[in-house]
Amino acid sequence: MSEVHLTINGLQVTAQSGQTILEAARAAGIDIPTLCHHPMLSNHGACRMCLVEVKGMRTLQTACTCPVAEGMEVQTETDEINECRKFSLELLFSERNHYCMFCQVSGDCELQALAYRYGLDHWRYPRPYEKMAVDASDPYIIMEPNRCILCTRCIRACAEIVANHTLGLRERGSATMVMADLDVPLGQSSCVECGVCLQVCPTGALIDARSAYGGHAEEVTHTQTTCMQCSVGCQLDVISRSTRILRIHGVWNTEPGGGLLCVDGRFRPLYETRERIAQPLVRDHGKLVPAGWTEALAIVAKKLKSGRVLGLASGATSNEALVAFAGLMAQVGGKAGQTMPALPTLGFGQPAAVQDILATDYIIVAGANPLVYQKVVGYLIRRAADRGTPVALIDVPRGGLEASAVLSVSGQYAATVTEQAAQAQAPLIIYSVGLKPGVARALKPLAHARWLALAPGRNSLGARAAGLAPLEGHDLTSSRFDVLFFLLGEGSEEGGVMPRLDGAFKIVQTAYRSPLAEEADVVLPAPIWAERSGHVTNLEGKTLPLNPVVPMPDGVRDEAEVLDTLRTMM
Amino acid sequence: MRYYRSHVMVCTSPQCVDKGARTLMKRLQEELAAQGLADEVAVLETPHIGDCANGPEIMVYPDRVHYAGLTLEDLPSLVEEYFKKGRVVTRLLSQFRPPVDKELGPPKPKEVRVVLRNCGKIDPENIEDYIAEDGYQALAKVLTEMTPEQVIEEILASGLRGRGGAGFPTGRKWQFCRAAAGSPKYVVCNADEGDPGAFMNRRVLEGDPHSVIEGMIIAAYAIGASYGYIYCRAEYPIAVRTLREAIRQAREYGFLGQNILGTDFSFDLEVRMGAGAFVCGEETALMASIEGKRGHPRTRPPFPAVSGLWGKPTNINNVESYAVVPQIILKGSAWYASMGTATSKGTKTFALAGDVNNTGLIEVPFGITMREIIYDVGGGIKGGKGFKAVQTGGPMGGCLPAAYLDVPVDYESLTSAGSIMGSGGMVVMDEETCMVDIARFFMEFIQDESCGKCIPCRVGTRHLLEILERICAGLGKPDDIEELEHLSSLIRRSSLCGLGQGAPNPVVTTLRHFRSEYEAHIYDKRCPAKVCRALIRYEIDPAFCTGCTLCARNCPVNAISGERRQPHTINQELCTRCGICKQVCKFDAVTVS
Ligand SMILES: Cc1cc2nc3c(=O)[nH]c(=O)nc-3n(C[C@H](O)[C@H](O)[C@H](O)COP(=O)(O)O)c2cc1C
Ligand code: SF4
Ligand code: SF4
Ligand code: SF4
Repeated sequence: MSEVHLTINGLQVTAQSGQTILEAARAAGIDIPTLCHHPMLSNHGACRMCLVEVKGMRTLQTACTCPVAEGMEVQTETDEINECRKFSLELLFSERNHYCMFCQVSGDCELQALAYRYGLDHWRYPRPYEKMAVDASDPYIIMEPNRCILCTRCIRACAEIVANHTLGLRERGSATMVMADLDVPLGQSSCVECGVCLQVCPTGALIDARSAYGGHAEEVTHTQTTCMQCSVGCQLDVISRSTRILRIHGVWNTEPGGGLLCVDGRFRPLYETRERIAQPLVRDHGKLVPAGWTEALAIVAKKLKSGRVLGLASGATSNEALVAFAGLMAQVGGKAGQTMPALPTLGFGQPAAVQDILATDYIIVAGANPLVYQKVVGYLIRRAADRGTPVALIDVPRGGLEASAVLSVSGQYAATVTEQAAQAQAPLIIYSVGLKPGVARALKPLAHARWLALAPGRNSLGARAAGLAPLEGHDLTSSRFDVLFFLLGEGSEEGGVMPRLDGAFKIVQTAYRSPLAEEADVVLPAPIWAERSGHVTNLEGKTLPLNPVVPMPDGVRDEAEVLDTLRTMM
Repeated sequence: MRYYRSHVMVCTSPQCVDKGARTLMKRLQEELAAQGLADEVAVLETPHIGDCANGPEIMVYPDRVHYAGLTLEDLPSLVEEYFKKGRVVTRLLSQFRPPVDKELGPPKPKEVRVVLRNCGKIDPENIEDYIAEDGYQALAKVLTEMTPEQVIEEILASGLRGRGGAGFPTGRKWQFCRAAAGSPKYVVCNADEGDPGAFMNRRVLEGDPHSVIEGMIIAAYAIGASYGYIYCRAEYPIAVRTLREAIRQAREYGFLGQNILGTDFSFDLEVRMGAGAFVCGEETALMASIEGKRGHPRTRPPFPAVSGLWGKPTNINNVESYAVVPQIILKGSAWYASMGTATSKGTKTFALAGDVNNTGLIEVPFGITMREIIYDVGGGIKGGKGFKAVQTGGPMGGCLPAAYLDVPVDYESLTSAGSIMGSGGMVVMDEETCMVDIARFFMEFIQDESCGKCIPCRVGTRHLLEILERICAGLGKPDDIEELEHLSSLIRRSSLCGLGQGAPNPVVTTLRHFRSEYEAHIYDKRCPAKVCRALIRYEIDPAFCTGCTLCARNCPVNAISGERRQPHTINQELCTRCGICKQVCKFDAVTVS
C-alpha cells in the first residue's frame, strides 16, 4: 500500500493504491451515486450510475471499479455524466414495472431516490414490459421480477456472503432474469433462507413476506441487539414500528458474523407460533389456572424452602437471569446445572474468533455440525472454502459441508487430517460437543493451531460462567429430588438433559406454552429475546448486550427480577 | 551441424510399420550409403504423411515428392534415379493429395497471402509439413538468439496491430504484460470469431494451426508466461480437433512442454471450447468463461495485461495476430512493415460477402482501396448491378457509401469514415439494398447478443430496434430520426463493453450516409430500395399481362384474380407482399412500387 494523489472535481485527494475512485471519493466526502454497488459485495460496474470522467481516458469510467492512479484527474458531475446517469435511470424505468405508488418499498427504494435526484418526472421511453410471474413459493421471501433492475446484488450476496450459490441469471440480453438454481421456484431451491439477498436488494424486487407495506424508513425504529437463537451471537438490527417488529437485518461489519444472519435469527423468531404465557399459572384441582404474581411466588417460595431442589437452566436466557438463578439455588441448598451437554476442551492451541475463519489457511471441523446448529459459522466455513482454504471434516454428519471439504473422515482417521494440516501456517480447529478425546489427541501435533469451540444450545457459556455446569451423567431421579425448578426462558425442552422426576413439584419459568409447562405445578412467565435487557456470552466468550426492542407484555416480568425477589423471600 | 540437401521422411504410423516401414527405412539408409549419398540425404521418421493406406510411404523435402507403395526391390532404382540423377520416378509416386482447401482457391488478383500462406498447401495434421515451410524456425531463433525484450522490439518495429477488432499495437500489449507484476502469467488466443459470416480465423486454425501455436509460444517467451489457452468457439469442431492434434504433435517434438528446445523456457497450452455467445469474444467475458463463470464482460481498467485470468497478468490476442508473429521474426520487422500504410502495416484477411461475384476469404495488404477489393479481388457486383454500400467491422461496424470507394483501407481511415476495421467482416451491398432494413437487421443481432449486464446496451438497444422496426413497418414518426441519434449517442457513451459502445454504429453510419432513405420511409412511407414489405405494392401491368394465370395459381393467399387471357389484378387487402408473383411471371408484368 502506498499513497496516491489525485484530484476529484479539482480537490486534492490522497488515497491508497488499490482503492477505487469511489472509495477514494467517499473517504474524501465526495458523493458519487451508485446502484448496483454495495460495500459488502464485489464491484460490478453494470448500472452506470457512478460514471465519472477521467482525464486522458477514452470512455467514461465506473468509479466503483476504476483503480486510482497517481496524478489522476477525475470529474464526477459534468453535464455529460449526468446525462448518462439519467439515461440509464430512464431506461430502467422503461424496462419493467416501476410504478412506485404500488410498491411496498416506495420511499425506501434506492432506484426511486435516484430518480428524484435526477429529476425523472415522466416516462421518457415507451414501456414495453411484459409481466412476469411473481414467485411466492418461499414462506419468507417473495421474488417480484417485475421490479428487478438486474443489479445482481442478491446473486453476489448469495455467492459471496452466504456462499450458497442459489441465485444466478437465466437467459441473456433483455430476457435476462434472476433465477434460483436451474430456474426452480425459490421455495423448492437450495436456498437456506438466510435473507441476505433481501437485505441488499435496492428495490422492491425481493419482498419480505411479513413486513411488506408495514412501514417506511421514516416511520420505523432501529434497535441493535444480539441474536439469542444460537451461541454465535450475531448482531441484529431490529426494525420495529411502535410495538410491532417488522423485520430483522444483520449489522454489517460487526463481529462475530460480519452482518450475515441465518433463518433462525432473521425469520423464525418473527414467525413464532407457540402460545405466549402472559401471567403466572398455578395448578388448581389438577388444572393450570391464572394466578397473581404474589400468590404464585408465595407457593414457589414455600416449596423451595422445604424441598430437595434441583435447578435446571436451558441457557435460552440472559446472563443476569442465570446468575440470579444460580444464586437462588445456592441459597436454598439445591443442586443446580444446565441442560446442555458438556463442551470438551482441546488441551492445546489458542482460542480464535469467528472472523478468523476467513483468515486461516486450513480449517478442521471436528465433532460439530455448524451448518445445522451454528449456521453462520457454517456459512463462513463455506466462504473460506470458496476462497481456496482447505476444509477437512472429522466426525461431521452429512449435510452440506462435505461439498466444501477436501477431506471427510471418521474419528479413527483423524491423524490423516493432522498430517495434511501440518504444512499450514495458522490452522483453525472448529469443534463442538462431538469431539472425541481420541480425535483431540490425534490433532495434538498441531500445537500452533487456534480453535473455535462451538458451544451447544444458546447461552450455555453464560450458564457455565454463572456456575451452572452440565448435568449430563448425574443421578437426577425422584429419590434425590422432590422439587424441580426449570429456567426454560424462551427455549423448548427438546435437546439436552431432561430428568423424569415423577411426583416432584415442578416450577417452570418460561415464555411459551410447551409440554413441560403443561406438566408444571407453577408456571412463571418470562420475556422473549426482543423484550430483554442484559447480556449473553457467545461462543467466543464475549459478553454481548441485549437491548429491548418492544416492552414486555403486562403480566410478564424479567426473570432476574423475579428470581431476586424469590431470594429475598427465602 | 551437417548440411543435408534432402530429408527423407519415412512414415512410421502403425499401418505403415505393419507394412514393413522400419525394414524399408533401414534398407533405404543402406542403399543411400552404398551409392555414396549418406552425407547428402538424411532419413528420418515421421508419424504421419497421409497415404498410409498405400504404405509404406516416404516424403522427400524440400522437393515435397511423395512416394508410396514402396517395396524393398524398388529401392536401388529409386536411389539411383531420383536421389542421384534427380529424376522423379513417376511409377512410384503417391496418388494421395492432401484435402484441398475448398474455401480458399488460388490467390485472386491483388491478394497477398501472408497469414494464409500455408492454408491449403500443407497438411494441417502433419507438423512436418509445417516444419518444411520454415515452421518453428522462428521459435528456435528467439530461444537461441533473442532476449524477450528484443522479441518485443521486433514486434513493435513491425507495426503489427491486433487483428481482433480494436487494432491495438501488439508489441505494446506484450510490453505491458511483460512489465506487470504477478505470476504465473498467461497467454490467451481469441478464436471465438463470432461475427456473422466471418471465418478468417477458422481457416487459419484448420489450415495452419502451428502458425498460431508458434506465435503463442513466442509471445509467452516474450512476456514470461508459462501457460496458454486457445478459446475456440464450439461451432468450430474441426478447428478444435485440428488444434488439439497440432498441440499433441508440437509437444511430441518438444516445442511445447518443459525445457523447450533444451532451453530453460517451459510453456504449455490447451484448447477451451466457447460457450456459444457472441459477447464471449470480448476479452474480459472470454476470460470469465475460461474461469468457468458466466461470460459477462467486466469493466477495464484493470486491463488483462495487469489482471486477467484468475487475476494474473494475461496477454490476449486474436488468431491472426499470433499467426503472423513467426514470419515477422524470421523475415524481419522491416519486411512486414514494408507492406501497408503509415499506420497500418502488413496484410489483413477479410471474409468478403454479399453482392460481389467472388465471395469468400481474401488477404490483401493495408492501403488497398475498397474499389480494388470489390472490383478486382471480388470481381465486381453480381449481375452487373450498381454498388450501394459496404459494411465493414461486423455487427458493431458501419456502412460506407460509394464516396469512400477510393479511400485506402486502414484502421484510421475506416474509423474516420465512421466505421471500423473490426476483425475482417466485409459485406458488399448492391443498389437493391434498403439501408434502414440493414440497420434493423444488425440491431436485431445486437439485441439477441447483448449479454444484459449493463443497462444502456440491454435496454437502450431494445428501444433502437423498436424504432427501426416501426420505421420499416411504415409507422415511422417525424421525431424518430432525432430519437435514434439521441439513443445512439447515449448508448455509445455509457455502455460497459465494446458491444454496447459499438452497437449504434450501423444506425449512426446509415443515418450519416443514407439519411434520405430514412426520410423516405418516415415521411413518404416509401422504401426506395423496395425491400420493406409494408411500404411496397405489387401490381400487374395490364399492358404486359397475358392472362396466363400462373401468378394466380402460385399466390399463397389467393390475392390475384382475373379471367384466363385477360389482365389480372392483385387485391391489395389480401396481398402479403411475398413477391412470388413477380418471381413466377414470365412476362415481367408484375411491378413493385
Ligand atoms: C462484443 C465483442 C466481441 C468480440 N469478439 C472477438 C472475436 O470474436 N475475436 C477476437 O479476436 N476479438 C474479439 N473481440 C475483441 C477482443 O475483446 C480483444 O480486443 C481482442 O481479442 C484482442 O486481440 P488483438 O489485440 O489481437 O486484436 C470482441 C470484442 C467485443 C467487444
Ligand atoms: S435467502 Fe440466502 S441462501 Fe436464499 S437465495 Fe437469498 S441469499 Fe441465497
Ligand atoms: S432482485 Fe433485487 S438485488 Fe436481485 S438483481 Fe433484482 S433488483 Fe438487484
Ligand atoms: S455493453 Fe452489452 S454486452 Fe457489453 S456488458 Fe453491457 S450489456 Fe453486456
